[in-house]
Amino acid sequence: MIALIRSEWLKLRTVRSNITMACFAVILPLAITLLTTAFIDVDSVGDRAVSAVLLGSGSLSVLLFGIIGVLAITQEYSQGTIRLTLAANPRRIRAYVAKGIVLAILSSGLAAFIILVGNTAGEAILDSRGAVGKLSNGDMGQAYLALIAMSILVSLLGMAIGTLTRNPPSAVTVLVLWPLLIESLLAGLLTEVISEEAYKWLPFQRGLNALLLEDRDMDFGRWGSVGYFGLWILGVSLFALAGFKRRDA
Amino acid sequence: MITVEGLTKKYGSTIAVDSLSFTVKPGRVTGFLGPNGSGKSTTMRCMIGLDRVQSGTALFDGKLYQELKKPLHEVGTLLDAGNAHSGRTARNHLRWLAMSNGMSPKRVDEVLELVGLIDVAKKRVGQFSLGMKQRLGLAAVLLGDPKVVILDEPANGLDPEGIRWIREMLKHLASQGRSVLVSSHLLSEMALMADDLIVIGKGRLITECTVSDFIDQYAKKWVVVKSPQLDSLVSLAQGQGMHISLGEGVAEFHGVEAATIGELAATNNVVLHELSTQTGSLEDAFLEVTADAVQYHGHAETQSNGVAS
Repeated sequence: MIALIRSEWLKLRTVRSNITMACFAVILPLAITLLTTAFIDVDSVGDRAVSAVLLGSGSLSVLLFGIIGVLAITQEYSQGTIRLTLAANPRRIRAYVAKGIVLAILSSGLAAFIILVGNTAGEAILDSRGAVGKLSNGDMGQAYLALIAMSILVSLLGMAIGTLTRNPPSAVTVLVLWPLLIESLLAGLLTEVISEEAYKWLPFQRGLNALLLEDRDMDFGRWGSVGYFGLWILGVSLFALAGFKRRDA
Repeated sequence: MITVEGLTKKYGSTIAVDSLSFTVKPGRVTGFLGPNGSGKSTTMRCMIGLDRVQSGTALFDGKLYQELKKPLHEVGTLLDAGNAHSGRTARNHLRWLAMSNGMSPKRVDEVLELVGLIDVAKKRVGQFSLGMKQRLGLAAVLLGDPKVVILDEPANGLDPEGIRWIREMLKHLASQGRSVLVSSHLLSEMALMADDLIVIGKGRLITECTVSDFIDQYAKKWVVVKSPQLDSLVSLAQGQGMHISLGEGVAEFHGVEAATIGELAATNNVVLHELSTQTGSLEDAFLEVTADAVQYHGHAETQSNGVAS
């Protein structure tokens, strides 16, 4: 399995579009955080300003990790390397799991890097401008851990959607429209038809709630929300895996 | 040794491979022939588990492909030279393959050297010609030093030197005791490199034999005769009911042995300048045997009247 994971890691890092997307996922939240802390009015800054900006912009990175997940598998189909992958590793579940492990390690590592650099640099900038931010807030640490967990889960979701569609544009469209459009429309519909509370059961609505600094509006709590989102990802992944195992390559 | 037994693959109601059985022996190059759409590539994909089969098995030294722990060490396959990421370098393309089966990076450079791509190892595959991609595909096949080699149209896109190189390479691999299964549309090449043939049509086995047996059995034979007394000889032969076609100063006798013509000429004091038996090529034999199995026919138009011949 270690050999397979190393092979998948090499595959992922030797394609330029994956590197570009990873750089984008790291630079985007850092740039937003650093620019915000550099230009925000220090008199109006709360003690968790850095975390709030970092978590907000970090949710964009979460989506970009999902796109890396999409690319990791759809590139194999569009470039025909899936046949080599499965010829080299005919036990398909192992091949899928190895790719998933690599994506999980990459997205969690990059998310941790974003948090570490963004928080440290943001705090330093605010400090130099005479504002004071807190690093030791318990909620903030939990929210950061939730960001790492969501990064892993969304990258796995991207891989699952990519496995089902086998096509980069359609997989990226589904991944982006799901949280940004489909769930918003469904939320409105469910509120009208079922109840005002029904929208909370939509996976992204609940999962992204785990990134809020305040542990508010969470029937399951922060980790319950992550767990609920994780169950959805598990379901979609199992469905994708069943197809991956059964369909012709 | 490859043993394929009752392999069947359907796409909806279309049967692509129909209860196909054959064996590929070690130490021999086995040509896999069939018209377009006859199921050659599908069979190869099914053999290594890329396509799911409805029934049947393909065993490699008694094992299913899916049972092989490090398959690249047992079976090397080249199904499509285009199966490489265009943005990855040739070396990285082989490195991930090697890594997945526990091979060292040193082996990658060895096979790149072997196929003549070491100088372009750092070039992206997207910049490669089809011939270079074929060589890269062959490097991937050789990576694990496998006992079985399966190649689908490996000569596609290669120049004459490349075609000769791949022919010599496959013969060399077979001489080392490996089982080599190769499909190709270049029948003249197949005649030069294959020892055995498996011919399929519409997914079914048509014949499985040696190349020489195939030509003996299916290629047409005729006797060419040149003589200053050709008219006399032709009259005598026609009198015996022989089928003859006449050219300029030459007659071709069909369905008769050269010895019979020779004896006829000698008995009647006819001088012969040439008496030789001609045999059709592998291509002739192939076209003869697969005539009923061709799905996609082309029609040549004659220049004079434009009517399909």
